[in-house]
Amino acid sequence: MLKITDLRARLDAEDDAAIEILKGVNLDIPAGEVHAIMGPNGCGKSTLSYVAAGHDGYEVTGGSIAFEGEDITEAEPEERAAKGLFLSFQYPVEIPGVPTLTFLKEAANAQRKARGEGPISAPEFMKLARENAAKLGISNDMLKRPVNVGFSGGEKKRMEIFQAMMLAPKLLILDETDSGLDIDALRIVADGVNAMRAPDRSMLVITHYQRLLQYLKPDVVHVMSAGRIVESGGPELAEQLEAEGYDKYATEAA
Amino acid sequence: MAAPVALNPFEERLIAALPDSGTDWRARLGRQIGTHGLPHRRVEEWKWTDLRAALAKSEAGAGELIVKGSREPDETAPVSSAPFLLMPRLAAALGGDARVFRIGKKQDGPLELDLTVEAGMGHGVVVVNVARGVKAELRERYHVAPGAFANIAVIINLGEDTELVRLVEQADSAEGVLVVTTGAELGEGARFDQTTLGFGGRLARLETHVGHPGEGAEVILNGAYVLGQGRHLDQTTYVTHNGPNGVTRELFKGAALAGGKGVFQGKIHVEREAQKTDAQMNHRGMLLDERAEIDTKPELEIYADDVVCAHGAALGAVDAEALFYMRQRGMTETQARAVLTESFLAEPLDRLADEDLKTRWMDMVRGALRPDG
Ligand SMILES: Nc1ncnc2c1ncn2[C@@H]1O[C@H](COP(=O)(O)OP(=O)(O)O)[C@@H](O)[C@H]1O
Ligand SMILES: [Mg+2]
Repeated sequence: MLKITDLRARLDAEDDAAIEILKGVNLDIPAGEVHAIMGPNGCGKSTLSYVAAGHDGYEVTGGSIAFEGEDITEAEPEERAAKGLFLSFQYPVEIPGVPTLTFLKEAANAQRKARGEGPISAPEFMKLARENAAKLGISNDMLKRPVNVGFSGGEKKRMEIFQAMMLAPKLLILDETDSGLDIDALRIVADGVNAMRAPDRSMLVITHYQRLLQYLKPDVVHVMSAGRIVESGGPELAEQLEAEGYDKYATEAA
Repeated sequence: MAAPVALNPFEERLIAALPDSGTDWRARLGRQIGTHGLPHRRVEEWKWTDLRAALAKSEAGAGELIVKGSREPDETAPVSSAPFLLMPRLAAALGGDARVFRIGKKQDGPLELDLTVEAGMGHGVVVVNVARGVKAELRERYHVAPGAFANIAVIINLGEDTELVRLVEQADSAEGVLVVTTGAELGEGARFDQTTLGFGGRLARLETHVGHPGEGAEVILNGAYVLGQGRHLDQTTYVTHNGPNGVTRELFKGAALAGGKGVFQGKIHVEREAQKTDAQMNHRGMLLDERAEIDTKPELEIYADDVVCAHGAALGAVDAEALFYMRQRGMTETQARAVLTESFLAEPLDRLADEDLKTRWMDMVRGALRPDG
């Protein structure tokens, strides 16, 4: 589904001296699998998610990103979205004046148009929205409010998952979706994500802590440090990290 | 006053239509234009809106201003006193009798006027008088065909305790030139609530002068605009507070796309007698391309010592992080920009009481922001 090869990227600064944040990342997520990336603050996890999604604030200096066998290293963010890549942001952006449902409908139809499909009908969309909102305990009122405006950190994360459900992507990247969630909200969100697991849908779960992974049960856990994947293993790796911390990797990378 | 200029052929044709001698105001106007030409960029009030240059090569000859109204004027009458400013004076000199509308009792719906010049040049004067205590609504739509020139003076007289909601729609007039100069005088306790929506033209200027009596009277001037390639729209407002305790609120928001140019000039003048004036003026512009331009000049001229007056002006671009977020969800960059800009522009239009009109205007805004459909 997603294959990242020797990916190098830096901030798209004018000066050539800008340091690389991603220093040769390799990652291969087959269809249907859930992979996790854990790593200390500042090791490049969010940068990886942004670069995978096509953020133009970063410059890819080497390597490649392939999605379903197709090279998307240079693709526009909206092309990647239409192919089925969804990023749940660590810090969801507020968009004043644009109601959440209006926004999502426009986004859904833009994706469909890019794929050569007709627009979704308003009643069909509303029905879907009601069903998905119910699963996540999201009120009607929240859906009418402008995108992310006035929501708590936890509510924003919940809305990100709601958006993912509405857009039904093939690859879901969750960047620290667990931060800001209390234990009840975490369970609701994790249930929502688990319900989306499917043989043709992959997930990349970026997190700091093991608690989300206890619900999501990843197939593979990767450890990232200083811009590289430094170790990969099964779910037991997450437990080990939780117990021992990242010190071992931090010193290795330094 | 700027130095004498050498006339261009268009100005020569204008002058030829005016009496060439005598002491009446029409002849004086001819001499004034003969010496100084039409307003141009070296005239302070027109520094960003060079009407002279926009018309220099104009072939617009005789034409007419077509006014289609929801009803006929109550009267057509010669303009009794010549307007002070050059452009409305020219409109009075060449526009024939003024069309006078009197609103003397409760209306059945708004007074609607479609003002169009299809070809050549059209000048005209429209007078709207609202009698004491009456609440009224006036809607105007302006359109100028390519190559045409419209110059219109609107004179609004509000009696005591009247309320006039004025809604002005300036339709996209590619290659057309439009000047609308409005003078509104408010009686005591009157309320003047104006909203404009403009899409520009080769050059378009909506200039509004309001005489504010203070105490109990209120002036609201709002506007929104979207300017595409080759469009220019100037919104210029002058509010003069003549008495104490007056309230004025102005909010203009606009967006310019590549090759679009917006101008906002707002002046609030507070006379010495106008103590406790409460006036606020804001313009917010959004530049959607490096080749877009918006020029603003908010001014306060205050002779009273106890007032609350403020103005703000800010120009911005679309927020890059919001743009990425929206594109990540699948919107094209153009679409994301349009959605963000729409919500930005909605504020001055949100107050419109008529939901149908609000929807129509927002649809027009949406359309103008998405030139490729
Ligand atoms: N836009 C940015 N401006 C400045 N520094 C950045 C930016 N994006 C990332 N960095 C730097 O790159 C490194 C990796 O950041 P990030 O990918 O956010 O890490 P993580 O998500 O693992 O905490 C950090 O040192 C961070 O300071
Ligand atoms: Mg991060």
